[in-house]
Parts: sequence; C-alpha cells; structure tokens
Amino acid sequence: MDFGFKKEESELIEEVREFIEQKITSELVEETHQLGAIYGGAEAREFIKKLGARGWLTPAWPRDYGGLDSSEMVTYIIRDEMAYAGLPLYFVAAYNAGPMILRDGSEEMKREFLPPIARGEIEFALGYTEPQAGSDLAALNIRAEDRGDHFLLNGQKMFNTSTHVADYHWLAARTNFDGPKHKGISLMVVDLKSPGITIRPLITMAGWRTNEVYYDDVVVPKKNMMGEKNRGFYYLMGALDFERMFAPSAYKRLFEEIVDYARETVFNGRPLSKDPLIRQKLAQMAIELEVSKLLYYQLAYILDREKIPNYQASMEKMFATEVAQRICNTGMEVLGLYGQLKKGDPRAPLAGKLEFFYRSSVVETIYAGTSEIQRNIIAERGLGLPRG
Amino acid sequence: MQKEVWAFQGDNRMDYDLNEEQQILRDSARSFLAKQCPGTFVREMAEDEKGYTSELWRKMVELGWMGILFPEQYGGYEGSFLDLAVLLYEMGYVCLPGPYFSTVVHGGITLLEAGSEIQKGEILPKVASGEEILTLAWTESGGSYAPQEISLKADLHHDHYVLTGTKLFVPDAHVAGKIICVARTQEPAGDYEEGVSLFIVERENPGLTVHVHSTLAGDKQCEVEFNQVQVPGENLLGELHMGWPVLQKVLQKASVAKCAQMIGGGQRAIDLTVPYLKEREQFGRPVGSFQAVKHHCANILTLLDTSKFMTFQAAWRISEGLSFEKEASMCKAWVSDSYRQLVALAHQVMGGIGFMEEHDLQLYFKQAKTSELAFGDARFHRELVAQQLGL
Repeated sequence: MDFGFKKEESELIEEVREFIEQKITSELVEETHQLGAIYGGAEAREFIKKLGARGWLTPAWPRDYGGLDSSEMVTYIIRDEMAYAGLPLYFVAAYNAGPMILRDGSEEMKREFLPPIARGEIEFALGYTEPQAGSDLAALNIRAEDRGDHFLLNGQKMFNTSTHVADYHWLAARTNFDGPKHKGISLMVVDLKSPGITIRPLITMAGWRTNEVYYDDVVVPKKNMMGEKNRGFYYLMGALDFERMFAPSAYKRLFEEIVDYARETVFNGRPLSKDPLIRQKLAQMAIELEVSKLLYYQLAYILDREKIPNYQASMEKMFATEVAQRICNTGMEVLGLYGQLKKGDPRAPLAGKLEFFYRSSVVETIYAGTSEIQRNIIAERGLGLPRG
Repeated sequence: MQKEVWAFQGDNRMDYDLNEEQQILRDSARSFLAKQCPGTFVREMAEDEKGYTSELWRKMVELGWMGILFPEQYGGYEGSFLDLAVLLYEMGYVCLPGPYFSTVVHGGITLLEAGSEIQKGEILPKVASGEEILTLAWTESGGSYAPQEISLKADLHHDHYVLTGTKLFVPDAHVAGKIICVARTQEPAGDYEEGVSLFIVERENPGLTVHVHSTLAGDKQCEVEFNQVQVPGENLLGELHMGWPVLQKVLQKASVAKCAQMIGGGQRAIDLTVPYLKEREQFGRPVGSFQAVKHHCANILTLLDTSKFMTFQAAWRISEGLSFEKEASMCKAWVSDSYRQLVALAHQVMGGIGFMEEHDLQLYFKQAKTSELAFGDARFHRELVAQQLGL
C-alpha cells in the first residue's frame, strides 16, 4: 500500500499552486462565484485558455487530441487544487462530453471537437434533464426525428445549466419512439445558436442561473450524433462511472476559514475554539474531509489501473457532498446569529461566504444523481442486492 | 460475498492494495482462523476462565504470529506495521478471543518503544516463542486514558520501587506473566504528563491481586490491585518520569491496530448479513430489494470502506516511519463511530434472527462497543485531532 503522491505528482501540485497564485484574479473568483461555474464570463474564458495551454484541462487525454497522456491521478490533483482555490473545474466539454467522444465517437468527431475542447476554446452544456425525466433519465422524450441527413428536434429540456453561455448542447434525445425507453435514446452535439432554440432563465436559491431550453423544429446534422443511434443511454450510464466525482477541497477551504473564525472570535471571555463542543465538531469535520480525500483519490487509483469505478464513484460523490452540507451546518452553528449575514453586510463574518455556501450546498446532493440514487447504486453494484 | 476493496493489483504509484506477501498472509490467516475459531469457540472462551486455549496459542506461535513485528534478533519476523494490521484484520474477522492483542500490541509495542536492549533481549524472544504473555496496566478508576487519571504511585526505596494503587480494564492480566504498569513517580506540578513512569511487574509478585471484570463481550479485562508491590529498579521501562511520551505513541499505534481488528469485524458483519438479504423473502420478494433496506446497506458499505481506508492509511504511515499522530487519531475516531453504526444497521436489516444468541452477528455488536472504548473512543480522539489542528 502507498497513500502518498509520487515525486512527479508532488511537483505537479507545487506547479499548479504556483499557477493558481499567478493566474487567478479576485475578479475571476468573483465572476465564478456569481455565475456558479467557471465559464460563461469574460474572465473565465481567458483563464480556461491559459489552463488549456498547459494541457491541464484534459491531461489524461492522448497527445493527438490535445492531452498530455498523463495519469488520471494528475487530473484529480489539478481539479482538487482548483477546487481549493475556489474554482472547481466542472467543464461539461472536458469532463463529460469529451471523454465520451474519446471513447465512443467517430474519428471525424474526435478531430472536430477534442482539440478545441482541450485548448479551452469551446464549451458544452449538459442537455439531459427534462421536466418528467430527472432521476429517471430514460424517461426523457425530446423528439429527434430522422430526416435522412439530419434530425428534426422538438421538445423541452430543464435545469440545463450554462446553456445561455456555452457553445454547444450535449443533448440526449429520443430517436426511437417505440419499445423500451432506454433503447431509444441518442446523443448529439447541437450548436446552441441553431434557429428554433429558445433559452429561458430559471434562478436558483443560490442566486445562480440555470435554464429551460425549448426546441422548436431545430435541425441537427446527422454527423453530430455521437456513436450509434439508440445506444445513447448505454453511453450515458457508462460515462457516469467515469465522470462522477466531487473534488472535496472546495469545502476544505471553507472549513479552514471556519476554523480561523473559531480561533479568532472571543465568546464569554475565551476563543470559540476552546469550547469543547465546538472542538469536537470541527475535529469531526476535519476527519470527514480526510475520509473524502481517500475516497476521491481511490477513484483516480482505479481509473489508472484501467478499471471502472462504479459503486466507488457513487460512494465518493454521495459522501463528499453530504460532508459539504455538514460543514456548512457546523459552520452555521459556530457563527450563530452572524451566520445569516450576507455578503455586503459590514458585520458579515467570512465576508458572507458561509451564508452563501449554506444555500448553494443544498443542490450538491441532488444534481448528478441524488444521494438516494447513489445509495441504490452502492447497494446494487457494491453488494449485489437485487433491483426493486 | 462482497469483493473486498483491495482487489486491484498495485504498482509503485498511490496504492490502495495489499502487496503479494500480505495477500498470502491474509489468505492463510483467513483459512486457518475459519477452522480454528468458529463462533462456538468464541462463545466458549467468553465463558472460559482463561479465555483462550494453549492448543490454539501454540499453533499461532508456529505460524510466527507472535513475533510478526519484532526484529529478527529477538526471534521475530521483522514484519511491518501493515503486516500486523493484515493479521489483526483477520483476527477481528473471527472475533478471536485470547491475549494476542495484549501480548503483541499492548506489551510488544510498549517494549519496542521504550525497552532497553537487555529488557527487549530478555522478554521479546519469549513472546515470539509463545512462553510469555504480556499486558499493559494503564487506566484507573477515572476510566480514561488521560494523564490526569494516573495516580497509582511508585516510590523509590533504595534499589527498588514500591507500587501502590489500583488499575482497571487491564486486558488479560489474569493470564499474563508480566504486566507493564503505568505509575506516577512524581506528584504533578501543573503538567500531568510529567512524572509518569513505566514498570515491568511480574504477575506472581506478592501484593498483586487480579480480579476479572464481567464484561459485555466476555473478553477478559481485569482489576489489578497493587498493594506495596516491590519492583526492582532495573524493571523501570524507559526513562524515569518520562513515560508519557512513550504512552502517547503506544496509544496511537495501538489505536490503529485496534481499528484493523474492527474493520475485519465490519467485513464479517457484512458477510453475515448481505447473502441473507438476497434470500430472505417478505411480501413475495427478497428483503434486499426494498429501497429502505438497500439504503441501510449502502451506508454499511460506506462505513466499512471508509474505515478501511482510514485504517490502512494510518498503518501505512506508521510502517513508512512518517508522522502518524493526526491520522491515527482521525482513524480511531472515525472507525469507533463507524463500526458501531455499521453493526447496528446490520442488526436492523437482519431483523429478529440477528438478535438470537446463536447468530454470530451479536458477537460483532459486542466487539464493536468493546473496541470503540479501548484506547479512547471517538470523542477522546476528536479532542486529540482538535489539538493537532491547533485549536
């Protein structure tokens, strides 16, 4: 066993930290915070290209398509360091669509999309969820009718975040209208500027925008379909095992700020950090972050052995996001009445950061597979329990 | 059966797997203990006065298990701490009764940490050959591992010390040949960590009486009364008044060793439960197909996998000679809570049959609580973590 980083990996961490120190501006962090994602804004577009130029957006991809041929461990290290810096990398193109194209797409599609994705020049938005298809993704029914050289699309998507700023929609659509639900779905790349697409904002309780997307006779060329027709659901389910992850250090930084606050804030004549109950709670959070770290790097470990994490990915995502919410709750207990003060209030501790994370963390255990879906997967794949 | 999490072949990168020798050790220990230590044996030993059999002890000696951690010069096999963890995992898997842990971990590790060449040369080979059983007498009436609770006194009289006081929860003292006793050699002047010393005491010593507690799990923990027990000066273990730093290390290492046993027990709880959930039907379908049951099971597997990683990370750090204080306390805190919760959930999904004395699951319920309390529970170790965080 070995739970340490290799020499090259430790060096990389230093390099990434140096890069972050030099290249990340407070404007970028603020913009990312406002938008809820590190793209869409002017600052982010610039930053992504700098990251892409180093090959750090898609390090594990082959060099032919703009990667560095590195281990997945490298990707995981970079993403965790970025999360710690307040810039969690959740690029749909680099981490969801790209890897699927790499595995199952045609050579033509790889050439067209992968190098610009790796350079950070284009960005995708996820197009899976619909009003009646949330956890039950196979129930999606946006229609893609086969019209010879193209598909004609009609229907509605929901909670498709970043569609208003991304270049392409990574769309799951129904191409077979009879037979089992999961055997009639195809994946395609849709230019979001196509005529017939209408995007309407939905504002979240975190203040971020997500969207409803309406398709009204939208034409999508056949060559934009990824892999085989009607195999889309299988590609999607397979991809979830690779892409499901949550970089734990996003909340590690918040935790450290809560710890600093507890040290510096005097209550009843002594620092909060000397209160035995608060010490217990903060220690527990430190422990759970350590557990998250081990679950997180286990995924890279499995991937680098060309194995597929399945229940392990679900476990990591479920655990780390639940820890995230517990950290917010613990932080709120530590801050007491002050916890409710928002950014901009002169008395807001942590510049209102905790008030914000307390709200925004609600969605962590919902998107990308709810904690309940993850538990089903853990029980069925990890323990072989029968499907209900 | 659930595939155990270290099923991937490792190389020299970050590695969550056992190496080849460790896999062999695990497999041979698994099949040996499955034969030698069925649930009936565990129950028998809980009732037995000694709590172990010489016959099984002998066989374990022949397998080299007593000396797994000791240097060759003392008749050991110079295994790593990780090797020990692998072995303890298997012992936890079958709830192995007897004084192995107290001899090799309590006694062995304390001697390795603090013993002089003479002391190690005299005692460790006898442990390796199975002739000597050891233990460590630490806790007193306060029921805590904290330095404030050490009040058993050791007074110097010319060339020997006189020990007076009472130790509680001393594992296997009733069968030990030697008891390492934690004593106060100096009245505390503010700092309780100062003035603590360790002594090697023969159990046959006049003035020493042992009474076995009646415990939840039927393991043998003892009250040991020291009434003017005379101990020769050369039996001082480590430096005078400087016992506490030694004990801190022993506590952390023993905690990780205890966790290795606990995760073995956790694996067994899953192996006892999950196959049953696939077969047992209610409402015309396997109970394991109900989502409420599945979610309990998902939590069980999460508690186990995370406990394994925390334990093996800490054991790895000890093996590699890296700092391990924070990781060891994090590990004991996490595994203490997790193992208890895991077995409680296993009972919940097992239903009534798991509550029967004849079902082995109850052995693990008991082992979970006993192990949680040993070397400090989660609350105790969270406080140590808080200190490590600079709080």
